[in-house]
Amino acid sequence: MNLKEWVFTTDHKRVGILYLIGSVAAFVVAGIMALLMRAELSAMGPTLTANPTTYNVWLYAHGAVMILGFQIPALTGFAANYAIPLMIGAKDVAFPRLNAFSVWLFYMGVILALLTFVIPDPPDVLWTGYPPYSTITTGNTALYTFTVLLIGFASIIAGVNFITTIAYMRAKGLTWNKLNFFVWSILGSFVMQLIYVPVLGTAVLLVSFDKYLGTHFFDPTMGGDVLTYQNLFWFYSHPAVYVIFLPFMGIIMDIFATFSKNRIFNYKAAVYGGVWGIVIISGEVWIHHLYVTGMPDWLRIGQMVTTLMISVPVGLMTISLVGTLYKGSITFETPMLYALGTMFLFLVGGLTGIPLAVTSLTVNLSETYYVVGHFHYVMAVAGSLAIFSGVYYWFPKMTGRMVNETWGRIAFVFTFVGANVIFWTMMNVGVKEGLPRRYYDWAQFPQVAHDQMVMTIGSVIIGIGFAIMLLNWILSAAFGKKAGDNPWESKSLEWTTASPPPHGNWPKPPVLADDWSPYAYAKR
Amino acid sequence: MNKHSKIGAGLLALAGSAQALALDKYIPTTDRIGDPAAGWNHLWSEVLVDITIMGVLFAVVLAYLMVKFRRRPGVEGGGVKELSVGAAIGWAIIPAFIFLADDLFVAANGWQLWNLQRTVPADRLEVRLESGMYSWDYTYPNGVRTQNVLKVPAGKPVLLRMTSRDTIHNHYMPDFKVKEDSMPGRITYLWFYPKEPGKHLVTCNEYCGVSHSYMSGQVEVMPPEQYQAWYEEEGAKLKAAAAAPAATEGSAPAAAPTAGAAAQDNKKPA
Amino acid sequence: MSTLEAAHGGEAHAHWDTSIWPFVLSFGILALTLSFTLQFVYHLSLPAVIALGISLPLILGGIAGWTGEAMGTGEGLSFASMGWFILAEAMIFVSCFAAYWFGRLEAPVWPLPGSVELPKALPVLMTITLVTSSFTIHRAEHFLHEKNQSAFVQWVLITIALGLAFLGMSGFEWNHLIHEGFTIQTNLFGTVFYSITGLHGSHVLVGLGIFVAGVFPAMKGNLSPGFWRTAGLYWHFVDIIWFFVVSQVYFW
Ligand code: HEA
Ligand code: HEA
Ligand code: CUA
Ligand SMILES: [Cu+2]
Repeated sequence: MNLKEWVFTTDHKRVGILYLIGSVAAFVVAGIMALLMRAELSAMGPTLTANPTTYNVWLYAHGAVMILGFQIPALTGFAANYAIPLMIGAKDVAFPRLNAFSVWLFYMGVILALLTFVIPDPPDVLWTGYPPYSTITTGNTALYTFTVLLIGFASIIAGVNFITTIAYMRAKGLTWNKLNFFVWSILGSFVMQLIYVPVLGTAVLLVSFDKYLGTHFFDPTMGGDVLTYQNLFWFYSHPAVYVIFLPFMGIIMDIFATFSKNRIFNYKAAVYGGVWGIVIISGEVWIHHLYVTGMPDWLRIGQMVTTLMISVPVGLMTISLVGTLYKGSITFETPMLYALGTMFLFLVGGLTGIPLAVTSLTVNLSETYYVVGHFHYVMAVAGSLAIFSGVYYWFPKMTGRMVNETWGRIAFVFTFVGANVIFWTMMNVGVKEGLPRRYYDWAQFPQVAHDQMVMTIGSVIIGIGFAIMLLNWILSAAFGKKAGDNPWESKSLEWTTASPPPHGNWPKPPVLADDWSPYAYAKR
Repeated sequence: MNKHSKIGAGLLALAGSAQALALDKYIPTTDRIGDPAAGWNHLWSEVLVDITIMGVLFAVVLAYLMVKFRRRPGVEGGGVKELSVGAAIGWAIIPAFIFLADDLFVAANGWQLWNLQRTVPADRLEVRLESGMYSWDYTYPNGVRTQNVLKVPAGKPVLLRMTSRDTIHNHYMPDFKVKEDSMPGRITYLWFYPKEPGKHLVTCNEYCGVSHSYMSGQVEVMPPEQYQAWYEEEGAKLKAAAAAPAATEGSAPAAAPTAGAAAQDNKKPA
Repeated sequence: MSTLEAAHGGEAHAHWDTSIWPFVLSFGILALTLSFTLQFVYHLSLPAVIALGISLPLILGGIAGWTGEAMGTGEGLSFASMGWFILAEAMIFVSCFAAYWFGRLEAPVWPLPGSVELPKALPVLMTITLVTSSFTIHRAEHFLHEKNQSAFVQWVLITIALGLAFLGMSGFEWNHLIHEGFTIQTNLFGTVFYSITGLHGSHVLVGLGIFVAGVFPAMKGNLSPGFWRTAGLYWHFVDIIWFFVVSQVYFW
């Protein structure tokens, strides 16, 4: 293997694999942070560290790295890069060099995030970086800013690249309505990235300006306003959850189709109602993260309604998912197991978002462990399981080998059980006791001692599940049994080339017949 | 960062005077006394039933299909035909309207409770709160100050007007099911209805600094007469202290005077 | 399936495309952020200068190498993708303006204490300069299509000169205002004034950079219409944004 052809590669598949390596590494680092946090919280009072700042740095590294370093790059970086050109029958993306640039910018962002662990004054602004705290802390807010900026810039140029690719480089005969659902979801996701990431970038940059250059954007004594930041931040960071959500739905939708040998149920409703419905509504709901900041009534009520309305496009996609199983011929290999797990976890996570959307319920729930439980269900575990189901799914294509099924299933059981143990308990203590999040010590809540222990045990269970999974991948990549070109018997275009595909993907660009569709399964 | 420059101070004073007026107009007031905490419990169980039905419905259908259509030797499956145009539209429009109807039902109930939560009874005790790293500083109408302990009479709604002198904090009272941020440069408000004498936790619910998790306080709900006695006694003490100015120097509370706090309403000044 | 068999064939061992420049450029950007951090967070000027000294060659070299390698490829698609990039760029300006609106609309008094009267004639002159440059680049593109290389290069150079004049005026104004005691630290308006005009100015600079990167190959006869169409689009965008800056910051 030629190292130079990997590091300097401009090939979308290799760029995708670089993204995968980087984002899984980020996941492991951030996951270890989670374990440290859980250990700290397992008992009242100082446990692992006597310094609350240390805990806050872990929490910062956990939240920021999980979202910016793991999920967004794994979905819009790895999955998009690996699968999109193959699914649309293109040789590569529109701008291969730009693509290489974005993966390396992402790595630079990860390097900055990792500097957190070596500098004397690590950032402790949590993943949200609210001023005034972020402008007066002795922690290094600039590092937070630049981590966000580099990774954000990487995804802007990736967005430009992929939108162009999908719009202009589809194979002959591949019309819009024949695209894999995953392609649509990535398109929607990147449109959102282009609109919203610049806003986040500006917000975090202005925080550093305020702190280091003496500007007054968020300083009320000089005419600024602290809430400006929160509005800008959530104007991006709410859509960001759908940037994660759309591609993960895309992955499991395609997996559902492949493993039940069916077309997607009501494809057009899921695409035009689901994906584009979300793209359109997602920009008008950010206030639901500011329900307890004193925003004006008309905004809170208005965005309560828009937030609730998100359940319509999401519901349409959910119906498509469930309906795809109908009259199918379903098999339960590991990718499908993970996808089904995603589906169940997502139902819990999505539906527990409904009370949060109701502003009058959120005045009690906001910033408690109920919220933490909600977003871990929907993002941390549903999202991660979807990403990993995608890795399992494309693993034979990437490596030419199969993942070990038995260990895949064992890993799944650990992950699924652990996830529910931790995050159900979280929602419970959030509602019942009102336990606030971002607490280094829960001394005021002695009644949650038992639950805290349960959650810590759950985190070990889920950790074991992920550890088995990673080990299984590494071993299977080296020793797994050889996979054919199309081990899942899928109709989708990426399975028509060799495993792993050569540079350029197909010797000749594929031309599609009139009745071709990625979901055209013959009645068996 | 010359936060305390002359210009800043001038601006602050201006903001203070302009906003103090606007604030009263902004807080909607009613003669009725509702109970937001009970309303919360009610709405919560309603929404919980709603989402449980939705969730169970989808999960059961999903599980059923998984089992029913698993691949079995000799059983045909897969490759179903595309929906007809009519069926496709029906499968989009009908569920969409069902979901929408459910959303609007939840939203309407939410709005109703919201009005209760944000409209403050006219007959109320008003206390100013200034939060800081890491304390809650309350100022009563007669100038009495307390720190971290909010003493209130049972049976009377309490309105808090809040601001902060440093970072953002959040005055959370789990027992009363309300919280609201307090932040520099703005005034926010919340109210609650302490019915019975007793003690309740106040805890900080917005990350504000290293000791965030230790920033707590207490609402002490007292029998009305007892409260009245305490209130008057403290007020008298304050007067006496003011009459003997020399003595006040040392005994002034640690907190900065609330009167000088930045005061900016949620709305543009009228 | 014949395609499939071919895919397994000898071509699997074929050469994979590589480019070193994106890699170099990304390290340059990393070093740039470190330079800022060293200077403004840790106040270590010497290391900051060293980091900057590492960063700038990497960035400039990366861009030069990249354009040298890629000039003339990706023709058809760069114009369309620039449209999407401009969407993202526009959102940066929108967020800065939003911060300004938020502060201004809620301020109890305006102008804020400490603000100064901004000059009125200079921004008009700057507007004229920038608008003219939009026309000159359009003119240049016209000669490009006529394959008139010398006229094309000439008009591009005129455009560059106008852009530089614009930046010169902006610098003059900043200098003047700072001497009057109105700085980025004065109050929210100072903050907004310098940030927004600075942000816009940096876009002018980037636009000029694009022109310069393209004008040397153009002198040597490498006229790539796709590149210039895209560069022109970016320049028009920078021009249009200026109208918002003028109207919101100078004349509101
Ligand atoms: C992938 C990530 C992801 C996704 C998809 C979602 C989805 C949703 N989220 Fe979540 N959310 C987060 C990640 C995510 N969230 C994160 C990270 C935070 C915290 C950030 C922080 O503060 O650090 C957060 C916080 C958060 C808040 C703020 C809480 C607070 O801080 O006070 C709110 C409030 O409205 C909310 C609501 C919702 C809603 C309504 C949805 C909806 O999209 C869910 C829609 C899905 C369903 C409803 C289920 C399926 C649909 C059906 C079965 C159809 C029928 C259903 C009905 C008609 C009800 N979320
Ligand atoms: C995608 C996002 C994502 C993911 C996957 C996770 C995963 C996990 N999270 Fe995280 N979390 C967030 C996003 C995420 N989280 C965010 C955004 C916040 C808010 C931050 C903020 O407030 O600013 C948060 C906050 C948060 C808190 C709240 C802390 C507080 O408010 O004080 C807690 C507490 O328990 C927690 C726990 C966990 C646990 C136990 C996992 C587990 O699922 C992790 C499991 C992973 C591993 C364990 C690593 C992989 C395995 C190995 C390396 C092998 C070795 C391990 C063993 C053998 C055990 N998270
Ligand atoms: Cu005060 Cu958190
Ligand atoms: Cu949200």
